[in-house]
Amino acid sequence: MEFILHLLLILFFAKVLGEVIERMGFSSILGELLAGIFLGILLISPDNEILSSFADLGAILLLFTAGYKEVNLRQLREASKVAFIPTILGVALPFSLGFLLGQAFGFGFLLSLFLGVAFTPTSISVVVKTLVDYNYLSSRPGSVMLTSAIFDDIIGIFILAVAVTIANFNQFPTNMQLLTIMGNLVAYLIIMGLLGYKVFPILFNYIHKMHVKEAIFTSVIMVALFSAYLAEVFGLHAVIGAFIGGTMLSNVPFAKIEDVQRKVSGLSYGIFVPIFFAFIGISVDIGTVRTAGMFSFMVVALALLGKLVGGLVGSKIIGFDLPDSLIFGIGMMPRAGVELVVLSVGKKAGIITDEVFSAVVLMVAVSILVSPTLLKYAIEFKERSKAQLT
Amino acid sequence: MIKEKIRDGYFHMTDDLSNVNVKDVMVKDVVTVHEDESIEKLFDLFEKYHYNSYPVVDNEAKLVGIIDQDIILEILMFDRSPRTKHTHEAAIRSLSDNAKGIMIHHPITISSDANLHDVADLMLKHRVNRVCVVKDGKLAGIVSKRDIINEVYKIKKV
Repeated sequence: MEFILHLLLILFFAKVLGEVIERMGFSSILGELLAGIFLGILLISPDNEILSSFADLGAILLLFTAGYKEVNLRQLREASKVAFIPTILGVALPFSLGFLLGQAFGFGFLLSLFLGVAFTPTSISVVVKTLVDYNYLSSRPGSVMLTSAIFDDIIGIFILAVAVTIANFNQFPTNMQLLTIMGNLVAYLIIMGLLGYKVFPILFNYIHKMHVKEAIFTSVIMVALFSAYLAEVFGLHAVIGAFIGGTMLSNVPFAKIEDVQRKVSGLSYGIFVPIFFAFIGISVDIGTVRTAGMFSFMVVALALLGKLVGGLVGSKIIGFDLPDSLIFGIGMMPRAGVELVVLSVGKKAGIITDEVFSAVVLMVAVSILVSPTLLKYAIEFKERSKAQLT
Repeated sequence: MIKEKIRDGYFHMTDDLSNVNVKDVMVKDVVTVHEDESIEKLFDLFEKYHYNSYPVVDNEAKLVGIIDQDIILEILMFDRSPRTKHTHEAAIRSLSDNAKGIMIHHPITISSDANLHDVADLMLKHRVNRVCVVKDGKLAGIVSKRDIINEVYKIKKV
């Protein structure tokens, strides 16, 4: 019975605080994290195994839904050439800074690697609103930002795949082990590709004729679970499989019926994803944020600066002027969904310590708060410099 | 009494519907959109006609997607929608300037050999109002709920 009360409180506070934060002009993820932090201090322990399993499902559904209905992979193919250099720099610099920070504080290779991975992704949805409000989404930095952010996430997910497998070896892998890791990843992608292009379309043509209730919806969720499980079998992580499974269903007509999409979204964002974000909050040990003051500060500063400088230099190379490069760099700063998944995976694997966990959650919260405001100033700076020139 | 009549009629009706081919009921003269058509032209189309959705075709008249009112409304209201709706897909859609960029790439279709019972079943089960009918990948027509109701009424009268 206690579990039911916990679930009720998590959903209630996640939605209420999410709404308050959203109305204040920031991403509701911050509200969901705060709900978890409050409940973690007052009532709920992070050792709750059922809740932890629910949160795992939340992470799986978060990435599955992103692949299934939120990422436009066609556009990525078309825009990849322009976004290539800013993306590579926007990934390489924060990743290196994260890794080096870990090394500087005396962490082991694996923990440093995970810290690097946690610095890598970008959550574009945090700043889209600001870009839209200032009519900058259609600008050159705006459209390159959209492509680059998704590449960041995909690269982040793949580095996570490699990091998780390295963690399974518990040491820096030999050349042979590295080949095995890559072999597993390629084999998994080939199997999922075959299923996505050859098997799922035929399968769903039959599923939609079934008489049992919600056959398509259940099948879509089964694909999420299957691809997650298969990824684990191949030594990858379930969340990586869920994302790939989602993309494999993204063009199957009967799996993408509007009615089914709404149900998948309802299950994810209505129930499991808020539980995942709240559970991250519950797992934050507030004491460690205070004691690890310098480290927390460095995590926040380097993660944000890494993206800012990487994006700024990368976009300058492809010909953006300084104000546009600044807009691009700031637009790449926010972190939210994927980095919290990386964090959760690292903590479950026993690699990420409480200190690092809390510092990265703090970095995510700060990035959600400062990115839209800084972006607003950068756009106003550009408008002012434009006005001075004319 | 009336209920019983309808029910009795229904059991015969399902057999009758199975005997009617979808190509005999569908609208063949469909208003389509070319994949390179501009968004402005699409708005004109929604103003001129009163259909909920328009099939999108390529140069070879192959069905490549569909555009419905929800998509158009989503684009028009993108700047007013909450942050949770600002996904990568939605942002890309709002930036597109042609039909290809905003259409749903995976429309539900039915073969021109299917019967009315199949298409009615599909509409009721998945809450879709219009289904594109295809033959060899090319758009052959469109069948709507109204077409089916009219056909059922016609059969009943006979």
